[in-house]
Amino acid sequence: MTIKSTARAAKKISYLRTNVLGRKREPVEREVEVETEEEVMELTTSNTELVTETLVEREKLIDDCLYLYDTAPEKLNHLQKDFHKIFLEYWLNNPLPSGFKSLDASQPWLFYWIGNAFKTLNPNWLNTDQQNRIIDKLWYISPEGGPFSGGKHQLPHLAANYASINSIALCHDINNSIELNKNAIYGWLVSLKTPDGAFLTTRPVGERDVRGVYTALSISSLLGIMDSNLTQNVTNFLISCQSYEGGFGGCPNDEAHGGYTFCAVASLALLNALDKINIEALLSWCSSRQSKEEKGLNGRSNKLVDGCYSFWVGGTAAILEAYGYGVCIDKDALKQYILKCCQTEKSPGLRDKPGTQADFYHTNYVLAGLSICEHSFSAKGSSPLDLIAIPRVEAPEVEAINPIYGITVQDVHNFATRHNESFQLPNLSMKV
Amino acid sequence: MDQYDYSDVQRVSVGSGLENELCAIMYTDEYKELISIFVGLLQQNEVSERAFAVTTAVIENAAALYTAWNYRFEIGTALFQDQDRWEKELDWLDEFTLNNPKNYQIWSYRQAVISQQQKPQFVRDLPILDLMIEDDTKNYHVWSYRKWSVQFFKDWSHELDFVNKYIDRDVYNNSAWTHRAFYLQNIDPTEHESIFDAEISYCFEKISMAPQNVSPWNYLRFIYGSFKNNEFDARLVEFASSFIGTVLEVGTDSNSVAPHVRSSFALELLADIYAKRDSNKAKIAYQALADTWDPIRKHYWNLRIKQL
Repeated sequence: MTIKSTARAAKKISYLRTNVLGRKREPVEREVEVETEEEVMELTTSNTELVTETLVEREKLIDDCLYLYDTAPEKLNHLQKDFHKIFLEYWLNNPLPSGFKSLDASQPWLFYWIGNAFKTLNPNWLNTDQQNRIIDKLWYISPEGGPFSGGKHQLPHLAANYASINSIALCHDINNSIELNKNAIYGWLVSLKTPDGAFLTTRPVGERDVRGVYTALSISSLLGIMDSNLTQNVTNFLISCQSYEGGFGGCPNDEAHGGYTFCAVASLALLNALDKINIEALLSWCSSRQSKEEKGLNGRSNKLVDGCYSFWVGGTAAILEAYGYGVCIDKDALKQYILKCCQTEKSPGLRDKPGTQADFYHTNYVLAGLSICEHSFSAKGSSPLDLIAIPRVEAPEVEAINPIYGITVQDVHNFATRHNESFQLPNLSMKV
Repeated sequence: MDQYDYSDVQRVSVGSGLENELCAIMYTDEYKELISIFVGLLQQNEVSERAFAVTTAVIENAAALYTAWNYRFEIGTALFQDQDRWEKELDWLDEFTLNNPKNYQIWSYRQAVISQQQKPQFVRDLPILDLMIEDDTKNYHVWSYRKWSVQFFKDWSHELDFVNKYIDRDVYNNSAWTHRAFYLQNIDPTEHESIFDAEISYCFEKISMAPQNVSPWNYLRFIYGSFKNNEFDARLVEFASSFIGTVLEVGTDSNSVAPHVRSSFALELLADIYAKRDSNKAKIAYQALADTWDPIRKHYWNLRIKQL
């Protein structure tokens, strides 16, 4: 303990020195105390001598996390479900302040994040009235029932369609009354396809990256409309986005990134093409996202841990696990980060990291990440629509998430049963 | 917007009229008025200077409204006969970019604008990209756009100085290392051997400054993958071995003297190299990583041990 606290004190001094003197720009050498044998066994970046912006930020976060691991009250050994329910229920029942105009083009995402987080906590909490309100609002925005827009009077957008379809899947009680315009969605998806195997997020000016690919394939596979017009060349585009580090970037040559890696790997699972990439490098990269001190996952090399990567990277690991490549992350450690660093006693909802506020996005993806920690995954002999999740802890705190779709296993199943014709036929479950 | 008259525009209300509307945003009156004019013009597909001015105001209010970016682009392509207008558009976009560094739409819009110019200039792109990275050295969109820009203009001459600057500033900046790998694609094959040597020396120097830094270790693998078909030579083994002390000799025997590992990434690289040559050594290395030097990744190390 004394050795550890000396090391911590030294870190604090270096932090103060670099921060009180203004924002660090130039790397500085720092003195390292003579290492005792015990300390040598504790290998961290702080054993090195060069302090840069990256290290200063990380050491601050490590201090914050270690403090929480030392002092967190016993109740944070469990998910404070009823407490988080308050946060989500409040926003299901009240209008959003005017500052939310920044999400004016992402309105279906609000329903997905809030509704999915709610159902991940307890599948029965999202009542029929709330489900009706989700559907009413989606059909107010997009009265044709697809393709869906980010808000009323806006153009259709891939991200909005993904969030809308996932939100509809949350509304299983009223599923039978919902009619989706599959033909229009299909025609629109085809119009976004680029010859190199990617998709534009919207037309005429939109991004062309693996996010677009994932959202297009997620939607079309759920609806049973994923055919060769949509899948042609896509695997090649995805392969070209795998970085030398093992993870995937948004476009060819981009830096490996947790969010884009999830999009690429989930897409490859839907294309039944995981064997076309460098799996070994991907497993190494995924496992490298986790660090011993913080226990959580980051999204890129030398970036800070963030609760949302519990799903983006954790979900990637779960997909790899499901397809027989083994478990590459420490789920128990990640669960500790989620319980102790992403929730607090004081305010409900889940957050990115110590020092930040809870929001819808992080609440959803942190809870989905917790589900990854609490389940084992298998896709043996089953379609992605029926991925198997088995609890690996006694009494899981949250529902089983289908890591390919980011909604619960049950919701994927129910949605496909209702809206995907090839899924409804026995022995003909989706084959690509 | 002030210089134009919108009194004749048929406003389209933004209120839903839904009872108990889910996640209704309490727009300010100013925003409601602005959007009602915007939608009114959009539905008429009006191509005019005053419509263009409305898109400016809308985007400055809610930068993520992709519909406004698209409408703006369509007005611009129809209206701008004069190349100066696209130039002015880039001036506006630069200013806007500085205030909205995390926005998604800026960069695809910028690509679209530059593709409209008859004589686009790479030097016109560089200052804003420098400023953005200067302020946020790992901004994903900016590094990604810069790669597009380099390829679009086929001008690679600025890139090495650029990455050197950011690796010098922060040797842990993985975005800069990734950009370095991108830059090397453009190297003429006749120069491969000398570039290979220079890059290896560069990596060794940067690793010696901070051995527990994953970025140059990954980059080193990239270099061997690109130039040597992953044939790791004695020079690399010797260099990596200098960071792992006696760990391969003492293994995980807890009674022996601590082996003084200074970089788990050196140990990982050696383990991967030995996995193809000497599985006993590889096993000791993976086991030491799992037990002591990188235990959070123990599941992954155990997968590797199983594959030996």
